[in-house]
Amino acid sequence: MEIAKMIKKAYMNLELKSDSKAQVLEELVKILDNAGIVTDFEKLLNDVRIRESLSTTGIGFKIAIPHAKSKYIKEPAIAFGRSNEGIEYDSMDGENAHLFFLICMPEDAGNLHLKALTALSRQLIHEEFRLALEKAENEQEVLNIIKAIDQEEIRA
Amino acid sequence: MPKIICVTACPTGIAHTYIAAEMLSHTGKKMGYVMKVETNGAIGVENKLSETDIKEAIGVIIASDVALDLKRFEGLNMIEITTQEAIKTPEKWIKEIIKMSQGL
Repeated sequence: MEIAKMIKKAYMNLELKSDSKAQVLEELVKILDNAGIVTDFEKLLNDVRIRESLSTTGIGFKIAIPHAKSKYIKEPAIAFGRSNEGIEYDSMDGENAHLFFLICMPEDAGNLHLKALTALSRQLIHEEFRLALEKAENEQEVLNIIKAIDQEEIRA
Repeated sequence: MPKIICVTACPTGIAHTYIAAEMLSHTGKKMGYVMKVETNGAIGVENKLSETDIKEAIGVIIASDVALDLKRFEGLNMIEITTQEAIKTPEKWIKEIIKMSQGL
């Protein structure tokens, strides 16, 4: 259940317009801001940038997972973005990133949320999961794919 | 089957720790090894390596972007890398630790 609580259709953009890493970070944080769960857009963006400056979150396999623990997010949230052309993201494998998960956690995030995130992180390296996300035709399909992670966790 | 143990850790402990863990574990198992990966994340330590794990292992891979106390692994073949390196080329490091354990 936990992942499904953090990601909503309103937190998705299946047609990102950015064409650089700096822009896409902004575009993703903006999604959460528009959803009304950000208390200070610039400061949250800055927290995300600070984490990014430590080491790239472009983990390869077309995926980027910018993230931050921040005072400026009201509740644990994951924004999902997709770019069909891909965006240069300084990824570990040198390829463009196509799938983006912006993970924002309040500083007092509980263990349940963190555990859910670990489940998401573990799924990301599996090809079937990525392919399903690439092919998803709408927000509901994305949500269903992500909900399946929670079920997998229960089985595990 | 020979056992390889790993420890992963990163600054925020919400993403790279677990991705590196999954990469190492998944890759090692595919190569026919028993893998146990301890994660030092925001939740704290999970899947903690026991003394038996350490005794049984042919080597330990430390994939960390933060300083860890490695005293408990003294005397064991050890490779220290970043989480990024573990995510990028897990097979390379597993092969490396196997070579070390064979004294190559």
